[in-house]
This record gives sequence, C-alpha cells and structure tokens, in this order.
Amino acid sequence: MDRMRGMAVAALAATLVLGTLPAQAKDTVHVAFIGPLSGGVAANGLGGRNSADLAVKLRNADPKAKYQYQLTVLDDECKPNVGVQVATKAATDKSVIGGVTHYCSAVAIGTVDVYHQFGMPAIVWGAVLPDITYGNDFKEISRVNGTMINQNEVAAKFMADQGFKTFAVIHDTTDYGKGHNEYFTKFAKQNGLQILGAFGVTADQQDFTAELTQIKALNPQVLFFGGLTPIGVRIRSQMDKLGMGNVQFQGTSGIVSDAYLEGLGPLAEGSLAFREGAPVDKLPGGKFFVEKYQAAGYAEPWEAYGPFAYAAMNLLLDSIEKVGPDRKKVRDELRKTRNADSIVGPITFDDHGQNTVAAITKYVAQDGKWVVWEDSEYAAGKRKLKH
Amino acid sequence: MEKTRPSLLPGLAAVGAGAVFAVALLTAEQQWAVGALIAGAALASLAAWRFGLARAIGASVDAHEGVLNAAVIAAVLAVTAWFYEDHFPLLMMATVLLSATTCIGLTVQFGYAGMVNFAGASFYGVGAYTAAVVVKYTAVPHLLAIPLGGLAAAALGSLLILPMLRTKGHYTAVVTIAFAILMKTFLEVNDTLGGPQGMKIRNVTVFGWKPNTALEFGGVELSHYVVYVVAALALLVLAFGLTRRMERSWVGLALDTVRIDETAAACFGHDIARWKIVAFTWGNALAGMAGALYALMVGFIAPNNFTFGDSLILVSIILLGGIGNLWGAMLAAALVVILPEKFQIIQEYRFLLYAGLVMLILLFRPQGLLPRTLRAYVPGRA
Amino acid sequence: MDIGLFGQYVVNGVMLGMMYALVAVGFTLFFGVLDVIKFSHGDVLMVGTFAGLATYLGLQAAGVASPLVQVIGVTAMAVGSMALLGALIARYLVMPLRSAPPLNTLLITLMLGTVLREGVRLFYPEGANPKPFPRLLPADSIAFGSFTVRADSAILLLAGLAVIVALNLVINRTKLGLAIRAVAQDEETARCMGINFTLIVLVTFAIGSGVAAFAGVMNGLYYNEINFGMGLLLGVAGFSAAIIGGLGNIYGAILGGFLFAALQTIGAVALPFASAYKDVFAYAVVIAIMAWRPSGLIAEKTSERV
Repeated sequence: MDRMRGMAVAALAATLVLGTLPAQAKDTVHVAFIGPLSGGVAANGLGGRNSADLAVKLRNADPKAKYQYQLTVLDDECKPNVGVQVATKAATDKSVIGGVTHYCSAVAIGTVDVYHQFGMPAIVWGAVLPDITYGNDFKEISRVNGTMINQNEVAAKFMADQGFKTFAVIHDTTDYGKGHNEYFTKFAKQNGLQILGAFGVTADQQDFTAELTQIKALNPQVLFFGGLTPIGVRIRSQMDKLGMGNVQFQGTSGIVSDAYLEGLGPLAEGSLAFREGAPVDKLPGGKFFVEKYQAAGYAEPWEAYGPFAYAAMNLLLDSIEKVGPDRKKVRDELRKTRNADSIVGPITFDDHGQNTVAAITKYVAQDGKWVVWEDSEYAAGKRKLKH
Repeated sequence: MEKTRPSLLPGLAAVGAGAVFAVALLTAEQQWAVGALIAGAALASLAAWRFGLARAIGASVDAHEGVLNAAVIAAVLAVTAWFYEDHFPLLMMATVLLSATTCIGLTVQFGYAGMVNFAGASFYGVGAYTAAVVVKYTAVPHLLAIPLGGLAAAALGSLLILPMLRTKGHYTAVVTIAFAILMKTFLEVNDTLGGPQGMKIRNVTVFGWKPNTALEFGGVELSHYVVYVVAALALLVLAFGLTRRMERSWVGLALDTVRIDETAAACFGHDIARWKIVAFTWGNALAGMAGALYALMVGFIAPNNFTFGDSLILVSIILLGGIGNLWGAMLAAALVVILPEKFQIIQEYRFLLYAGLVMLILLFRPQGLLPRTLRAYVPGRA
Repeated sequence: MDIGLFGQYVVNGVMLGMMYALVAVGFTLFFGVLDVIKFSHGDVLMVGTFAGLATYLGLQAAGVASPLVQVIGVTAMAVGSMALLGALIARYLVMPLRSAPPLNTLLITLMLGTVLREGVRLFYPEGANPKPFPRLLPADSIAFGSFTVRADSAILLLAGLAVIVALNLVINRTKLGLAIRAVAQDEETARCMGINFTLIVLVTFAIGSGVAAFAGVMNGLYYNEINFGMGLLLGVAGFSAAIIGGLGNIYGAILGGFLFAALQTIGAVALPFASAYKDVFAYAVVIAIMAWRPSGLIAEKTSERV
C-alpha cells in the first residue's frame, strides 16, 4: 500500500515537472572552453571565455535548441605543460563532447595529440601556428582563425612598401616565436629586406638590455618582435631606456591586445602589428556580437580573438544539434563544414580542418588604440612611422 | 607467543578502509561530496587516534608487516581494477605512485643522511628528459628508458657531490637551489631538448607492443593508464623494498649516525663522504626512474613541469609526512597530489592553502603527520 | 667592441648588481643576528613594490600629481610597510622556531614566500597580470655616441649607492650597529652586556626588509613593470650573491651582488653561446665557487666547537 502511494506521488510529481518546465526535460550536454585565464595574456583568454560563454548562453535561451548546454572552463595558463594537463582532464571526461581550445600556439601544438588520443573534437580559436592543423592528420582538430603564414606574408610586403630595409628580430623560443621568426624571415627575403640578426629569448625573461644593446650596435630600422604581449611590453619599454627611439617597433598578432596599449601608455604610439580577420566592427556579424556581448554585461572586453571563440563555439553547438552528443559523429560533422554562416564570415574547413581566412588586417597603435592602418593618421600622412 | 602477538585484523581493516576511501574520493564529482569525504576521513583519523585504534593499527602493522604490505599492493590493484576504463582517476593514481617513489628517494637523502635536496623536481626532470631523448633519438629499447633515466639523474647528481660535501648547512642548500634553477633555465634555452616548448614522446613500444593505445581483454576495453599504474606500482614496490632493507641494515644505521652527528660518526670510523654519496645517488636515481616513467606515461614534458616550486612541494611532502618515515611520505604524496585535483574550489588557491598548511605544521606539529618511530631492532617489538 | 657599447653593458650590469647587492645585504643581516636564512625575502620585496604601486594609485586618486611627492610617498610607504612586515615575520615565524632544526626556518620562510606570492596573485586586483609601474623620474638622456645614460638610471644608481653607504655607516658607526654586530658575534655575551636581544633582532629584520623594498621600488622604476613572480628570482639571485660573497659581513653581500650581475652580463655578451644561456652560466659558476670556497669568498671567521 505504501509502495503504491509512493509511486503515485512520484508519477504526479513527474507530470507536474514535465508539464510546467519543458526546458528542464532537455538533456544536458557538456562542452569545454580552454584558454589562458591567468598569467600575462589572461586578458585575451578572458575575452575568449566570455565570448564562448555568450554563445552557450544564447543557445540555451533558444527554445528551438535540442539540448541544454553546460560550459566547462579550464585555464591553460599559456604554458604547454599546464595545457596538456587540462586538455587531458577535458578529453578523458567522456561527458565533454567537444571543446573550443587555446589562444597560445605553444599550448595548442602540445595538446593536439591529447585530443587525438582520446578522440575529443577541438576547435582552435586563437593560436596561429600552421603546424597545429597542417603538422598532423588528426581529424579531431580544426581551426576557425588563420595561420601566421599569411600574417607574415602581408607584414613583409607592407614593410617593404613603407620603405624599410633593415630589420633585427627578437622572438620568444616557443614554437610561436620561432614560427614567426621563420616565416617573417622567409617573406622578408622575398621582398628584398635584410635581417641583421635574430635573438631568441625566454617567454618569462625580465631584462632585455643585453640583447637590445647588441641590436642597437647593428643599427636596424625596424625591430621585429615575434612573441606575446607581456615581453612585448618589456622590450618596447627597455628600447626606450637604451635610447633606441629611432627604431620602428613591429609586432605580430600576439601584441594586438588592450593590455599592450595599457602597459605602455604613450610609448605604444606607432607600434605596428598584423592579424588575420577583420576588426569586429567590420565583421559580417560584428554588430550583433557587440550588442549581445554588451547586453550580457561581461567585465572584460572581448579582445582580438573573442569573435573567433564565439564563432568556434557556435559551430560546435550547431554540430551537436545536428548529429547529437556523440564525439565521433560531431568530429565528422565538423570536418564537413563548408560555407557555414558565422559572425566572422563563412567558415570552410579544408582537409586539415583549417578555415581559410582571407583578409589580414594591418594595425597601428594611435592615441592608445589599435587603429586599422588604412583608417589611421599614419596612412593619411599626418603622422609618420620611424625611419 | 601467540597471545602477545597483536591481531592482524586492525591492519587489514585499515588497508580495506583506505581502498574504499580512495575509490570514493576518486569517484566523487560533486564538491560537497568531496568535502564530506575529506571531513569524514579527518574525523575518522582523529577518532582512531583518540580511542587508541591508531595504536592497535600501528601494532598490527609492526607485527604483520609482510602480510600487510602485500595487502596494500592488493588494495592498489583492486582500486585500479575498479577504475579499469576511467582514464582520469587512473592517471591520478599513477601520478601519486610516481610522486611517492620520488619522495622515497628524497627521504633517503633528507630523512636518513640529512642532506636537503631542493632540486628533487630537477632530477625527476632529468629522468623524464632522458626517456624523451631515448624514445625520440635512439634505437634503445624503450623499456630501458626507465633505468637509463635513473642512471642519468644519478650521474648528473654526481656533479654536485663535490660542492655538497665541501659545504655545510645553508651553503649546501644553495648548491641544490642553484642547480634547480640552472636545470630549468638550461632546458628552457636548449633547442635540441625542445626549449620552452617541451618534448613530445610518441610511439612508445615495448617488445613490439604499444602501451599508449587502449587495451582489450575479452571484449572489455581497458584504459591504457592501467599499464602505467601497474608499472608505477612495481617501481614503487621496488624502491620501497630496497630502501626499507637499506634502512633496517647497518647502512641505515651508518646513515643515521652521519645525520645526527657528523663529528661523532667520523670519530667512530664512519666514512661520512661515502655515506653521503650513497644516499644522494640512490635518492636521485629513484627520482630519475620515476621521472622517466612519468614521461612515457604522459607523452609530453616541458621545463615548466620541473621548476624550483615543484622541488619545494616535494620537500614539503617529506616534511608533511614526517621526516624519515616512508609510509608518511607516501601518504602525504597522495594527499598533496589528489586533494587539489578533486577540490575544484581550492584549485586556484591550492598553493596558498598548501603553503599555509605547511607553515602551521612547522609551527605546531614539526614532526609531521606520521613521525618516524624509533628504530625497531627486532620487527614487532618496538 | 667600441667603447660606447662597452659602457652601456657596464651600466646595465651595475644596475642589476646594485639591486642584487641590496637584496643580498638583507640575507647577510638576518644570518648575522639569528643564523637563519629568511627565504621569503624576495617576496617581501615584491609585496613592498606592490605596496608602492598601490600608494601611487592612491596618491593619483587623491589628486597629488607632483612626481617628486609621488616618488617619496611610494618609497616611504614601501620601505615602511615592509620594515614592519619584516619585524612581524621575525617575531611570529622565525623566533618561535629558534630551537628547531635550521632547515625548518628555511622551509617556513620559503612557504611564507609562497603565501605572499599567491596572496598578491589572487587578492591584489588582477594580480596575476604584469602591472605597469609608473615612470616617476625624469627621462632626459645624454648620449655619447652609442652610449646613452638616462637621468632616471643615474638617479637610481646614486640612490642605491647612498643606501649602501648609509647602511654601512649604521652598522659600523652607530650604537645600534654595534649592538647588531655584538648579537651577531655572540648572543649570550651580548645579552650579558645589557643588549635587548629581541629588539635588536626585530630592528635588524626591519632594516633588511626595508632595504629589500627599496630595491623593489628601484626595480619597478627601472623596468616600469612589476609582477607577482618578480621576487622569487630576485630573491634567489640575492641569496646566491650573499652566499658566494660569504655570509660573514655585508661587504661579502655587496661583492657577491656585483659579481653575480657581472657573471650574467658576461654570460649574455662575451661568451660564445646564445645570450639566453646567461643564467645557466651564472649559476654554474655559483656552484663552482661553492666547491672552491665552501663558505664564500669572504669567509666567516669561525671554528666549529664540538
């Protein structure tokens, strides 16, 4: 008798719950975001996390979505070993169907094996090293942003057009910095530019006066820096200490961040950098993204790669909606992506999972902002780069 | 004889309870569950200590050491079998076993011979990098990477022996600290060893079999980490066995005299330099072997895995466990590896809490969780 | 190498050496009075620098815009608060462990260093990120060919020198210094002579920590960037400097500081391998010096009593 009554109550409760809260009946699906949330490039990581989180929130608010999504956020600290640890954590957790992973190339290149070994689909949202997609045949890995090859091709050509001839290179000794050194040197030679010397530095070095003094003796017109924001700030500021005010500072996508501008203040003025993809206000879905991001009230800005993180997460969620929460199916579905509509423009993966991002944007720091070169006072001739 | 001999039961019960607790802790996902388990364990240990149960367990362990050591091994294997397909708990178990092996090595150096090694993680790293180089650049069978890792760590450590023997106290500490920083910087700037990018270890093969691929036994798929848990357990048993023999023998006695009073030991004819070299080398070799196995298991190593900070954690594991007590070191290693992993809330605060905890221990219980007991010349009659 | 470039390297090296020496002096002082190594020294330096940064932000918010007032406020706040922190550490962490093995003191201060470091990382607003440190000193520069001296670098060097000279005078010419030296030589006898042992220990720790905070502010003004990890490496470099110099007296620390900086500069510039190996070189030489002179270049004059 008691048992019967219990069952009746349970059935009644179930009907009530199902009847009043249909959203609760959806299955929960876990997806992961991995990026650098602490350390020197945390600003970029937090921007990416917020953007990915926004994509999940908007999807959960959509009554047409088949699943309820839950986002697991992990911090890779921009260190390869930590990255491999958290990637292992996500990939070995079978409830995580897929991930949007890594801003730092040094981390991403270390983790691709992990995703492959445990079969978790991962979409890279910010790392630019070509080998992440082209250095392997792993079906699990794809990437929505471009690689550093195009970046450096455009950069070398641009610098030649501006009349620069002689360069010195400082790069960090991770695969990110080494890659930039390799590709920039290659394209510089094609454009008839001269590299006077290249210096590898560790990513947590404090004092660059020894390297910079040697560079000063070489007397280049431009210092090309292949590395991320923290040491970029240090190098630019120590150049000033050593009286290298006449040397033009040229960076890569790694310094396109608000943190670079804030860290240097007026010293940032005139720094050059290159990044794939258009700035957010020129993206097809840029207006929509900015509106939603601001409405969600995140504390941190979306930074340079936020829109890519948003697009990558959306792509992952679309695939899960289509084929269900199954890693293998999602993996294969992602690989079939052709002309998928996204806020960064149509996404098409080639047979290595690499999206083709055509446009490279040239940036110059002007009055504490990264300004697109063509819109800047430098291009208009009102201000001048250093010669 | 039979009457005075303490019962086996308390010891077996403790091992069983430990195994059940390990399964529960490694399975628990919810933060409140993890918290409840830890609070429960703390209360249980406190109660056991308060009501004399701890003494009964201790007596039982002393009297039936062989049986209970076997029971612990069986318990670890049972927990491994329980998690046969869950990668993450197994990975954590293997990491615990390898850290424990390293800590046994450090216990020999610090607990027995009184030489503090602030470069434990560096020697672990030397072993790991040796394994990576063996797999990547040489045709040496990959299984040999483990002993070679130990050999390399011992050999590199021998470079430090001269300054370590000549210096005293704080001056000795600076030798190992300088080495720890030197080693990490070297790995970071050396291109052949991958620089800050680290090294990948691919295609590990042992007698034609690839231990890093999933296993199948009669239709049941096992996690490949099972192999590594078993290997790490074997290494730990070997390290523990040999070290225990050494501790109980006249070698252990000689080491004790060297630690307690060098001048007196020298007066009684002990060759201080020899015993210090033995302890230092054996400890480094253990750390190196553990590191090599770790590298084969995770398949990726970078200089940041082996920093001065990690060495400090190893030293404080020794302290936390009770200097010179092997079981204490192993227990502390398990706590220090697992708790931050399971306690997501403390994840970010782990170093802070951990450092604070060690400070409290130093102030209020400097002898650690399980202090080393007086030497028992006849086992069972301490 | 032309002379201007050489001059540039010397200035870079001397600047580093000055910071190391200021840190090393602290280690020597603490070791003198209590025979302990306080390893949290580098992190105390870091906390001091962050206290200075916070003071700067506070002054900015309060509308004080004069760089001179700001620089004085920042330095005074950093040095004062760290002197207090140093005395507290001595009172509540180091002195209670006097009867324990010396290693316990080393460990507890190492752990305190971790607590300070993590505390700043977690609880200072966005403490995990590098922070820009304000440029408060005049940036005029004088160039001699390829050799540039900036006013701010010159001021920092002179200020560092002044601190070292002042410290030397305090130790060697004042009653306080006499008491510190007496405690360092023999605690028992010093007590018998009516010296307040505890007070002298606390004052010594306050002085050492204050000097470290000064070195931290110097570091911030020179590099214009600080981060929560800056203390660890400076601390280790300072400790190595104090040890290779010899823990016996502060000249050893000063010698060791400049020697260590010289090693790094030589490693970066004059040796036939990549400049990135400079720390490997410097620490390898430190180990070699330890093998050659086990108690430092200027050894303590002690004999072991059995």
